[in-house]
Amino acid sequence: MEKITSPYKWGMVIDLDRCTGCGACVVACQAENNVAICAKKEINEGRNMHWLRIERFWVGEYPDVRGRFLPVLCQHCHDAPCEPVCPVYASYHNPDGLNGQVYNRCVGTRYCGNNCPYAVRVFNFYDHEHAWPKPLDNQLSPDITVRSRGVMEKCTFCIQRIRRAKEEAKGEGRLIRDGEVQPACAQTCPSEALVFGNMADPASRAARLARSPRRFRLLEHLGTHPSVYYLKGGGREHV
Amino acid sequence: MKKTWLVGVLVVIMIGVVAAGLALVYFLPLDLRERSPLQPIDFSHKLHAGTNAIPCLFCHRSATRSPVAGIPAVADCRACHQFISPDAPEIRKLMGYWDRREPIPWVRGHALPDFVYFPHMMHIRAKLACSTCHGEVAAMERVTRTASLKMGWCLGCHRQHKASIDCWTCHI
Ligand code: HEC
Ligand code: HEC
Ligand code: HEC
Ligand code: HEC
Ligand code: HEC
Repeated sequence: MEKITSPYKWGMVIDLDRCTGCGACVVACQAENNVAICAKKEINEGRNMHWLRIERFWVGEYPDVRGRFLPVLCQHCHDAPCEPVCPVYASYHNPDGLNGQVYNRCVGTRYCGNNCPYAVRVFNFYDHEHAWPKPLDNQLSPDITVRSRGVMEKCTFCIQRIRRAKEEAKGEGRLIRDGEVQPACAQTCPSEALVFGNMADPASRAARLARSPRRFRLLEHLGTHPSVYYLKGGGREHV
Repeated sequence: MKKTWLVGVLVVIMIGVVAAGLALVYFLPLDLRERSPLQPIDFSHKLHAGTNAIPCLFCHRSATRSPVAGIPAVADCRACHQFISPDAPEIRKLMGYWDRREPIPWVRGHALPDFVYFPHMMHIRAKLACSTCHGEVAAMERVTRTASLKMGWCLGCHRQHKASIDCWTCHI
């Protein structure tokens, strides 16, 4: 069997010193990816659908309290705990270093979601045909599947945009340029806290930022080798 | 004693029949989808693309640059048929759609499920002729689907051309 290789290893850098917790990325993700909007009942049951969430922490003692924000999305781990537990190989690793989910292959065991230490996989407990009451269904993107009940779903780094950029680049006989493709969250971030790029290209903006001494990765000690790097500190913790 | 033996044989036969049935469904290339649906207007590819040699891309013009090949708008039909046989009954029907400002409700014979992404332009760029996948449309009165459009059909050709077979190429 020939090994499939790729000139791309997609990754992201999230600068927590820039993040203001505004939530624009969460909204952009929801709109771009046909993520269902859940009713109050479902949210109360803890069955909300989000591919990207912002964790909020309070630091310091009263009256010197500050909010800290941590956007958490699929970390696209290189040693992903969700992949080996899928009995039908719906959760798999793509040649571009992405952690994939094939919705039509998924049978809904939810093993992957339960094995994910970042809790970023969400399950369609309900049929969401009412999530987009008319005329909201007009906003559904035709480029990606509308997931049905009983299927696990997750952040894809906006694979539909990566596909489109790849096709354009292939048509011109070149590789994707740095900054040419961005997921919706990075595109919408007003403070440019999220930077997306090709980690296999050492000159890309994301790869350069990922070499910063401020970098760390979430739950690094688990050995999941995430593709998402966070930046924090550098003497600015008090700001 | 004799009866239990008989019941055992019956059970084995039943299991065998069910297994054979399942194997048949699995291995036969069952394709029950409509291959040549009836269209609201008796539009003939043979007449347009064959006899009158109108290029495919004149009508399906987005095939070279977009995922969908596209079906021509009523205005495109009208551009010719204002002058070409405007009194034929089928053309009257066509003009009726124009006058009522309605799109023609063509019925799709080639339709992939929602979870499959198929880009026409990548295949046209790879110099595949329309007939590789659609058959000799220029000789068809009514379009008849010639390919199964199953996953094995896509993968067979992708392997042959060393195109991508990663799941996320087609399932996004
Ligand atoms: C480039 C010009 C052109 C375009 C565009 C075109 N046609 Fe035609 N069409 C023709 C010609 C030429 C004939 C043959 C006329 C003949 O031989 O009498 C024809 C014949 C027909 C006929 C048979 C008419 C009869 O005599 O019964 C129908 C029906 C028809 N076209 C429908 C359509 C529809 C529907 C469209 C839009 C999708 C369309 N055509 C677009 C050129 C065109
Ligand atoms: C005059 C415009 C015109 C030309 C030229 C033309 N087509 Fe079409 N084509 C149509 C229209 C209108 C339809 C929709 C009605 C139908 O399915 O018959 C259609 C439908 C089709 C379909 C079926 C789509 C489906 O969902 O089943 C295929 C395949 C197709 N065309 C291929 C071709 C090919 C290949 C050529 C060149 C040999 C070609 N067409 C030339 C107008 C045209
Ligand atoms: C690699 C195989 C392949 C080739 C080559 C190909 N098609 Fe298609 N075509 C398909 C498939 C598969 C579909 C169904 C697409 C869907 O349902 O999304 C389709 C659908 C269509 C349709 C229906 C409308 C649409 O866009 O979905 C038309 C019209 C069409 N093709 C025309 C053409 C023409 C014209 C050419 C040549 C320029 C061509 N095709 C070349 C595979 C092919
Ligand atoms: C007759 C051969 C053939 C068939 C059948 C075929 N393909 Fe392709 N496909 C190709 C070739 C050749 C390419 C171009 C690869 C390239 O440019 O590197 C391609 C490219 C693609 C691409 C873009 C890949 C990329 O790297 O950007 C997608 C997506 C795709 N095909 C989906 C499909 C689907 C879905 C089907 C079945 C419905 C299908 N193809 C059937 C030959 C085929
Ligand atoms: C070249 C394109 C292509 C690739 C690559 C591809 N598929 Fe498919 N797949 C299809 C098409 C087209 C269908 C629809 C078949 C049909 O309608 O009968 C399909 C159907 C399926 C189905 C059936 C779904 C259902 O409900 O009927 C499953 C499961 C599936 N694919 C899984 C996968 C997995 C897992 C991979 C990666 C190992 C993969 N596919 C790669 C084109 C592709």
